[in-house]
Amino acid sequence: MPDLLDSPDSGRGDRPLEMQTERHGDKETRRAEEITAPFSPGLPVSLSPCLEPVLLCQRVSKWYGPVIGVNQVTLELRSGITGLVGSNGAGKSTLMRLITGHLRPDLGSIQVLGRDSWSTAARRHVGYCPETDAFYEEMSGRQFVESMARLCGYPRREAEERTEAALERVGMAGRAERCVRGYSKGMRQRIKLAQALLHDPELLVLDEPLSGIDPVGRSEFVRLFRDLAALGKCLLISSHELEELEKLTDHIAIMAHGRIAAVGTVAQIRDRLDNHPLLIRIDVKKSAPGDNGRDSVEQRRLATGLLKLRDVVGVELLDSSPEESVDPVLVRARNPQRFFQELTRLILEEWYEIARLETLDDSTQAVLGYLLRGRSA
Amino acid sequence: METGEQVKREEKAAEKATSSSSVTLSPCHPVTLSRTRAWCYLVWLSWQRQARASQMVGIAVGLLVFAILLVAIFTAMGAWSMHQWRWPYRQGPTFLQWADEIQLLMSLSDSSAGGQGLQAAIAASLRGIVETAGFAIFSHWGVFLLFLSFLLPLFNLSFATEALGGEREGNNLLWLLSRPLPRSAIYLAKFAALLPWTLGLNLGGFGLLCLAGGKPGWLAFRLYWPAVLAATLAFSSLFYLMGAFFRRPAVAAIVYAFFLEVIFGNMPGYLKRISIGFYSRCMMFDAASAFGIQPERPEIFLPVDGTTALAVLLGLTIVLLGIGTIVFSRSQYQEIV
Repeated sequence: MPDLLDSPDSGRGDRPLEMQTERHGDKETRRAEEITAPFSPGLPVSLSPCLEPVLLCQRVSKWYGPVIGVNQVTLELRSGITGLVGSNGAGKSTLMRLITGHLRPDLGSIQVLGRDSWSTAARRHVGYCPETDAFYEEMSGRQFVESMARLCGYPRREAEERTEAALERVGMAGRAERCVRGYSKGMRQRIKLAQALLHDPELLVLDEPLSGIDPVGRSEFVRLFRDLAALGKCLLISSHELEELEKLTDHIAIMAHGRIAAVGTVAQIRDRLDNHPLLIRIDVKKSAPGDNGRDSVEQRRLATGLLKLRDVVGVELLDSSPEESVDPVLVRARNPQRFFQELTRLILEEWYEIARLETLDDSTQAVLGYLLRGRSA
Repeated sequence: METGEQVKREEKAAEKATSSSSVTLSPCHPVTLSRTRAWCYLVWLSWQRQARASQMVGIAVGLLVFAILLVAIFTAMGAWSMHQWRWPYRQGPTFLQWADEIQLLMSLSDSSAGGQGLQAAIAASLRGIVETAGFAIFSHWGVFLLFLSFLLPLFNLSFATEALGGEREGNNLLWLLSRPLPRSAIYLAKFAALLPWTLGLNLGGFGLLCLAGGKPGWLAFRLYWPAVLAATLAFSSLFYLMGAFFRRPAVAAIVYAFFLEVIFGNMPGYLKRISIGFYSRCMMFDAASAFGIQPERPEIFLPVDGTTALAVLLGLTIVLLGIGTIVFSRSQYQEIV
């Protein structure tokens, strides 16, 4: 079961997270049999699942000097689509570059079908669609894809056949004669995807593949990704938008600050978040001391109001120095979405003078941010 | 009859299946991908892409054209001989006129048969020096100063730094690194693709320069081309290595070629032996020693013989390539944003 949501307390780096997908259900296998081989009509396509995981990351960490890019990530993927979502700088692209063997982990190991991701042997099984928008601009789309096929080591004729099949697959067969430099963003994305599919890899690592694609193209891509998954391929697809990935797969990994903050279906993540007390700091403007001579009136008024909310499990009044202009209140609350809705209502009704509101668990905040956005959309 | 045709069809189908089964798309089975084929294609692709190299190459070719024109003008002016040289400078008779006058004066002072023979020999040797001095002059100005110190490093750096540096700056290296080719093979393939360009430009450019130099030029080409070849290999491997090390290799290569090489090359004693230019010159001095070409002050220059110099340059090429292969195989290249 892909329910391995990290507990917020361990989100600081104590415990690695695990993710596992297994998509060899009867339904998908039946569907796979109906789908023709994507690139080599007539050639045999094995749909038999390998016993070993397609991708296995074990406690992978990567630093850029003093900055940590990926922090203790453990990941195990077999077949199917996994969405990787996170904001800019969350570590998605770094993780993908590590998986594709462009970067080497400082700690931990990454294996693709049992081979070290840095090795040449692993690259035979990986198709990578990078986010970087760089090409051999002087080439036509067809020449570019064919060059990539030849660089895989295919003979000319087979490279041509695979190129045509890949271009057909991404909807570029009729438009591939033009120079790449004249392509729109969407066309460039399609060419990048075509080169990733050429050698029929077991693992497809796609960094923002839907970026710049029009709605029609998106639905084509979504269909293609599902077809590939049905063929037993393992797809790891990153995106900024949870909503986008939700249409594609229900198996999501959320990255924040180099860590996988949550893994599982969106519903599972929401459920776990609902049950997990979130720590929030609310600063109210300083007012006169209360009866006890220590806590301010406004601080106590807010605490009283908060305790009336059904999701609040604890309130703590923190001391502030005389120089500070605010009095902080720490709140622990379950069911974040409902809590924030009620908090907003409370603030508007009671006219608390809130100077600042901050969620103290960064990972949870990231997850929450995505989920709230996803639900509101 | 039908059965026979059916059997044939089945045989054909079996053959087809056998031939096509060499390519399998299963993750659990090997796929017929040939590294050698991929490597050869990468050499071809890189060679083609090298042709699109940057402004640096344009500048290098422009400078070559300019240098050839300059040499051609000097050749037309007869600058590669001592025929026009005068003593006192610009005012006195030419050196050949001096030879005639010396012979005349000596014949007046000694009219014996032996004396006349000696006078003729002295005059002939004087004329010989004047005639053959063209090669020495061309070697000094055209080869050592213009070509070896300036054009050759420039030609090499313009192509060699572009080979990897251009891919890195254009963020295209990731396409190569995504392919199932060993990194060491990628490094060596790009070097193999680079060589036709650097060798062609250096040997070709040197040949054209010598052609423009007339007779002494041709003699220089016949004697010096092995040194140019060896120097090209060494410089190419060095500047190519810089592409694996530095994000902006052209800057590092310019600093090396036009500052460090000059400083090392003019160091006294053995210090100059860390310069590629030193060994190239040694090969040239060795090749042209029969024509009296030698360092201005051999006791300071401390040359090595031609064979040693060649061995050092070739050895250096191999060592630099080895280092580059290791560095490239271990490096993690990030996109330049």
